[in-house]
Amino acid sequence: MEYLTKMIDLYGESLLRNIGIHLLYVFASVSIGFVLGLTLGILLYRSEKYAKIILPVLSVFNTIPGIVFIGILFLYLGMKPATVIIALSIYAMFPVLKNTFVGLTNVERRYIEAARGCGMNNRQILFRVELPLAIPTIIGGLRMATIYTVSWSVLAAMIGLGGLGEFIYQGININRNDIILLGAIPAAVLAIALGLLIDVLQRKVTPRGIRKELNRR
Amino acid sequence: MIQFEHVVKKYGDATVLDDISFTIEPGQFAVLIGPSGCGKTTTLKTINRLIEPDDGTVRIDGDDISEVNRVQLRRRIGYVIQQIGLFPNMTVAQNITVVPKLLKYSKEDCDKIVHDMLEMVDMPYDQYAHKYPSEMSGGQQQRIGVLRALAASPPIVLMDEPFGALDPMTRSALQDEILHLQKKLKKTIVFVTHDMEEALNLADVIIFMENGKITQMAPPEEMLKNPANESVKNFLGKHIAVDDPSTLTAADFLRTNVVTVDSKKSLRTCTAQMMRSNVDSLIVTDENDKYIGTVSVEDIKSVSGDDLRVADVLKNDRETFRVDDDAKRCFDKLLSTKDNYVIVLKHDDTVAGIITKTSIAKALAERLWG
Repeated sequence: MEYLTKMIDLYGESLLRNIGIHLLYVFASVSIGFVLGLTLGILLYRSEKYAKIILPVLSVFNTIPGIVFIGILFLYLGMKPATVIIALSIYAMFPVLKNTFVGLTNVERRYIEAARGCGMNNRQILFRVELPLAIPTIIGGLRMATIYTVSWSVLAAMIGLGGLGEFIYQGININRNDIILLGAIPAAVLAIALGLLIDVLQRKVTPRGIRKELNRR
Repeated sequence: MIQFEHVVKKYGDATVLDDISFTIEPGQFAVLIGPSGCGKTTTLKTINRLIEPDDGTVRIDGDDISEVNRVQLRRRIGYVIQQIGLFPNMTVAQNITVVPKLLKYSKEDCDKIVHDMLEMVDMPYDQYAHKYPSEMSGGQQQRIGVLRALAASPPIVLMDEPFGALDPMTRSALQDEILHLQKKLKKTIVFVTHDMEEALNLADVIIFMENGKITQMAPPEEMLKNPANESVKNFLGKHIAVDDPSTLTAADFLRTNVVTVDSKKSLRTCTAQMMRSNVDSLIVTDENDKYIGTVSVEDIKSVSGDDLRVADVLKNDRETFRVDDDAKRCFDKLLSTKDNYVIVLKHDDTVAGIITKTSIAKALAERLWG
């Protein structure tokens, strides 16, 4: 008990601050990554030719460790929050882009043919048929992006930019496990909480007509 | 009015539509039929420009459709696809009003359309309007598919094997409904199917296609009476016009799986044979399978003696017929005697088969109703 009050006295304020910073990184990068991923996913879906070239390149790029990428950006941009946010946004973009592309590609041909036969133009087909039907998959990508970003945001501390990683690096440096856990546990809780939040969102935005179909799968 | 003028469509080396020309009059129910790959669906999709021809002109009410904006064109042509294709993310009401909304109808008009449409197919608005396609049966879904095509009152409706995936009961119910709707709304309907029965039920005019060409275009009665060639005939199959009854022969009604017995056999064998086959009389043949008479249970009962042969008791008092005899004579004979069957022989006197009362009834039913 005494230990807890001591810890709260010592670290309470900075824990709250770092959770705030961490969340800020996550929200900023996931939002940017989502918009980028969705847009690129749609564009690639629409131009099959480029998709065949760009998708493999992107997935190679995706395998570069985040720590390396942040390091490289740090050399060019310096110690700024922008460095972290740019790097994380790009990583958050990958799962969204991939799922958008896959989700759209998996929309059954008959719905598109029916839509075209009804006299919808390409934009109307996209917004009224293709995207609504791909939404569950796209949100699945968003979920992945969010959970990944929560853990990748730990890397911000590597270049001294705060977030929950600060405790982890500090704990490692002074060899104190309780300080490492002070960063690790809230990070894990954040990942789980945000994942659940997105599950709720997924249920909200999935058109009712295809919810049943999904449950059956 | 839909006019095709020398329409050609090629995919690489394959010619899918080979110089097609025809006219469908306003208000006509035209059915495109033919073996798979004959170009019937391609022809259909050329009408709403889902497929663009390589050569030739398609006109609707005289206007060359290649000069009309294709999105605008499609909104004026109803389209029902094979696998239903209701949008699963939209309710019944939303599906029905897809085209009216594209045409920017007011909300009130859209509501009215949903009410009117559902009423037309006896699906209560309160029960169905807000259901999703996944909550309905295939038949109900395709009804909505048809309504979606009709919602903006297009003068032309295209249907691509719309009932192909439905069970026969639902299918014929929907055929009746579509005929009813057509009568009421006076649409020009172009309908693709590979089912001749469906074509005969629905069509004002049947367009038979083969290898990208039109083999025959004729009303159903005309096609049944004068099929243009063998493949049309094959497709018509059992529906082909019943031959003149006076030309039907005994051969048309034969039952060929008859039980015969050799005249040299013992009566004991003969009785055993009758019991096995569950009959009370047998046709007797000689060693060359030629007919020589009949033997019945009564005939056997009336004699005694173990060494008797079939030849000793057989009767030869029946009138027999030849395979090419007039069927009516066999029929008259059968009705005027107490015998259950008449015997029909081939020209070499071997047994071709028998005609029973049941076989006549069955054969007639088959010819009448298919």
